[in-house]
Amino acid sequence: MTATTALRAAARVAGAVKVYGGGDTAVRALDGVDVSFPAGRFTAIMGPSGSGKSTLMHCAAGLDTLTSGAAWIGDTELGALDDRRLTLLRRDRIGFVFQAFNLVPTLTVAENITLPLDLAGRRGDREWIDALVDIVGLRDRLHHRPSQLSGGQQQRVAVARAFAGRPDVVFADEPTGNLDSRSGAEVLGLLGSAARETDRTVVMVTHDPVAAAHADEVLFLADGRLVDRMGSPTPDRVLDRMKAFEART
Amino acid sequence: MNASLRIGLTSLRAHRRRFAGTFLAVFLGVAFLTGTLVMGDTLRASFGSMFGEATSGTDAVVRGADAITTPGEAQGVRRPVDTSLVRAVERVPGVAAAEPNIQGAGQLVGSDGKPVGGQGPPTLAGNWITDPRLNPYRLAEGRVPVRSGEVVVNRGAAKKGGLRIGDTTTLRTPDPVKVTVVGLATFGGQDGMAQVTFTGMTRADAEKYLTARPGQASAIEVRAGPGVSQRDLVRRLTPVLPEGVEAVTGQQSAQENTDMISSQFLTLFTTFLLVFSGVALLVATFSIHNTFAIVVAQRTRENALLRALGAARRQVTAAALAEACLVALTASLAGLAGGIGIAAGLQALFPAIGFPFPDGDLVIRTLSMVLPLAVGIVVCLGSALLPARRAGRTAPLAALRETAVDTSGTSRPRAVGGTLLGALALAAALAGVLLTPSVWLAGLGALLALAAFVVLGPVAATTAVRLLGGPLDRLRGVTGSLARRNALRNPKRTAATASALMIGVAVVALFTVFGASLKATMDRTVSRSFAGDVAVSSPSFGAGGSGLSPRLAPALRRLTQVDTAVGLGRGVARVNGGGRALTVTDPVALARTLDLGTVTGSLRDLGTDGIAITRAEADRRHLRTGHTARLTFTDGRTERFTVRAVYGRSELAGDYVITRAAWAPHRTQDADSLVAVTFRHGVGTDAGKAAVRRIAARYGNPEVQTRDEYARSSAGGIDMMLTLVYALLALAVVIALLGIANTLTLALYERGREMGLLRAVGQTRAQLRAMVRWESVLVAAFGTAGGLGLGTFLGWVLVKASDGASDTAFAFALPSARLAVVALVGLTAGALAGLRPALRAARQDVLGAIATD
Repeated sequence: MTATTALRAAARVAGAVKVYGGGDTAVRALDGVDVSFPAGRFTAIMGPSGSGKSTLMHCAAGLDTLTSGAAWIGDTELGALDDRRLTLLRRDRIGFVFQAFNLVPTLTVAENITLPLDLAGRRGDREWIDALVDIVGLRDRLHHRPSQLSGGQQQRVAVARAFAGRPDVVFADEPTGNLDSRSGAEVLGLLGSAARETDRTVVMVTHDPVAAAHADEVLFLADGRLVDRMGSPTPDRVLDRMKAFEART
Repeated sequence: MNASLRIGLTSLRAHRRRFAGTFLAVFLGVAFLTGTLVMGDTLRASFGSMFGEATSGTDAVVRGADAITTPGEAQGVRRPVDTSLVRAVERVPGVAAAEPNIQGAGQLVGSDGKPVGGQGPPTLAGNWITDPRLNPYRLAEGRVPVRSGEVVVNRGAAKKGGLRIGDTTTLRTPDPVKVTVVGLATFGGQDGMAQVTFTGMTRADAEKYLTARPGQASAIEVRAGPGVSQRDLVRRLTPVLPEGVEAVTGQQSAQENTDMISSQFLTLFTTFLLVFSGVALLVATFSIHNTFAIVVAQRTRENALLRALGAARRQVTAAALAEACLVALTASLAGLAGGIGIAAGLQALFPAIGFPFPDGDLVIRTLSMVLPLAVGIVVCLGSALLPARRAGRTAPLAALRETAVDTSGTSRPRAVGGTLLGALALAAALAGVLLTPSVWLAGLGALLALAAFVVLGPVAATTAVRLLGGPLDRLRGVTGSLARRNALRNPKRTAATASALMIGVAVVALFTVFGASLKATMDRTVSRSFAGDVAVSSPSFGAGGSGLSPRLAPALRRLTQVDTAVGLGRGVARVNGGGRALTVTDPVALARTLDLGTVTGSLRDLGTDGIAITRAEADRRHLRTGHTARLTFTDGRTERFTVRAVYGRSELAGDYVITRAAWAPHRTQDADSLVAVTFRHGVGTDAGKAAVRRIAARYGNPEVQTRDEYARSSAGGIDMMLTLVYALLALAVVIALLGIANTLTLALYERGREMGLLRAVGQTRAQLRAMVRWESVLVAAFGTAGGLGLGTFLGWVLVKASDGASDTAFAFALPSARLAVVALVGLTAGALAGLRPALRAARQDVLGAIATD
């Protein structure tokens, strides 16, 4: 942790506990997690299913609330915000890429990309958006509907939308979960290059070692606790780590 | 249990909420229908028992055998009976008592100077029959009238007029008579015979004021001695009666009275209500069909699984139908209970609002239960049939399909078929209006137009929503744009949802347009044919109270301001065999105050054997000037009249005009329905009106109106009718809105994930609510616009067809202000319908919606 606190944190959680249900059936999805996501870096969160990685992302992104502990986006403490302010925060300062159903079917590609900006009633930075469209390579598809696109293309639109409003941090939840490996690699490459070239923070949840290897750093979660972290990951090292990890538990 | 039935049952249990809208629609329709039937039967039975009880002491009625009935009147006018006959009747063995019943019109003036009643039910006066068992009225308070000027009033009328025992007031017979209330009476245990007012006076007074000449009675009421049955009594009475007089049993007379009320009032009332429950159920059909269609679409995956596991097509269809059947059955049964509740509620409510309907137990016939139940189930199952078949056709491998945009409703055959149907409708309607004026052909056109609208709906929905929602993008940004596209994503569904509202609005618009046209027609009629300066009139709606004193017109003529004052009296006669209303007046003066159109022949010398006829009636009866017509009057005498004049306009003057001199030998209780007055040259309207009003005040204070006021008030009854129609149609519109809310709620289930996504990327709750509300408004706007268009067109067709098919020239009027209000109500209602679905959608958890596993 000493290495990362030196950098400015784009998002962070401290003492994060999330309990689902109550009484005998209570499940501790997060069991005291402290982590910060440094600005300008691409971080992957890995862990077996049920490890709490999605819950961590949802709580850090203001989609869900913590049972105890605190979460920040920049200097803003999320627990202090009501639903409206939380929504505005997501709209203005966070980008999202989900596993599937990322796009509104009635809107065109162009409209989907600018949706958060349109919801805010802002014009946004048109040059930036123009550049994004070229980065994701969808210039000739701008007036198509999502149903006319392949799965990979749809995810690329989602990536463009996530970055359109120049958010502080982009959260991606299994963005390649529904894609074949080639399309998946494209989307991951996009996420990485967008993060590095435009100096944006990206946090990605995945269970795929190959996907995780695109990140600058990988965090490992198990049973709601942060168990390890790895810099400059490669698919093999991540896979080994996961195997070792599974053997131990 | 059968597998299909079990699947239907469990799926219903799992998705109860989805059918809430369907349940409500069926429930409301069935409840309204049941309520109408039960209330109709109950009222009929109550009136029956009330009459039975009131006249139980009368065993036979002696009356004129012949009744002259004019078209549109339920009760004919009978020839009076000589009171001298009472003696002869009394002498018949087996007769215990006999008394004359002298009845006429008599309208009380209340303590506030305003006439009591007269806006519908008759205002009666008669002699107070001294034998308490022969008198249908019972003295409840005070005493019976003994001296001239003393009266007993039925308690309902006394309450309405604020009259108490000891009060002195005026009775218009129509000549004003000063009377003192000495007693209050009840009828069959009630405060009165429904809204009919009754004033009982001494026999001498009754003969003096209510008959043309003393010695005449409307009928003779007879009571039998012990051991003599009603039939025996009639058999014994018949031989002593002169020709043209008959005796009937008391039971028959009571039955005739009940039937008269039933046919004149109850049948009309219940038919009216039944039509509206029909409209409500039609609207419900669309809502129900929509719900089932959506539910089946949502269950594609489930049904595909069933099919893959080996369920036959028929079994899947049966499961869906079983579900519909259960909904239909529970909703219809609840509707039956609700309907009985409505009937009971109305029974309790009517007296509270001063409508003394007789009370008594609710009459629940088997038919009133079986019919609504059957209708409810048929409507529900019928609406579910197509969706259920679609469920059966689900391919076993139906893939999970994202509900993006389903434009299957906008197919070419549909557009072509709908357009053809529309063209056919237009052709039929225009043919019915222009070529051979026929209400039937026009009605067929109207029906086809409705069908064309329903078929074209999905095609039209796309264009219409795009058009109507156009300004929304600019106004509400991305929220408006999303709302518009959501409304467009399934045009078939949007159209079906809007159709329900469309039908409701179309009927409202139709009545609005027709009502306004009727008003314009009457207004035009009066302002065109009334050439006088002021009119003195009794209310034109219903029985019209007791009318105006025939002495009013001569009194007005004596005023220095007045040039002509002519009264229009009403007579009845059989003209060449058919009962007709006559206008009894001074024809020469009439021509000066009314515009009679082109007159052939001369109105100057009708004398006592001349008659004037309208051109239309003359054509129908093949009569021309110089021809003779045989007129049979209520006194039984027949005389030959020569047609001396044929005139063009019947609107105020009626079809037949005879002089007062010709009418005098046959007259009954005389009353004028209108006195038309023209002023001398140079007399201002205000001054003249004031002078007329001063005189009128002495004759029971009838209303004095200028030409414009008269024209406007003639159409006053139409507004009353329209208000009633609006109140009833509100139900259909409410059902339509339930349908919109329901469809929207179901559609939002489908779009749960999309909503979650929108919320995740920054749509606020307020924005989401606005998006749903606007979608609802758009659907409502489409339905309202379609309904207004269709209704206005149908109104035009109806007006034009009526114009061609009847004598009266109908004016078409487009009440734009009223229609604008209808449009506004439709849109507001749309916003209201979207309120709850919007709230529910906004409350949904973001994470729950987007979670992928």
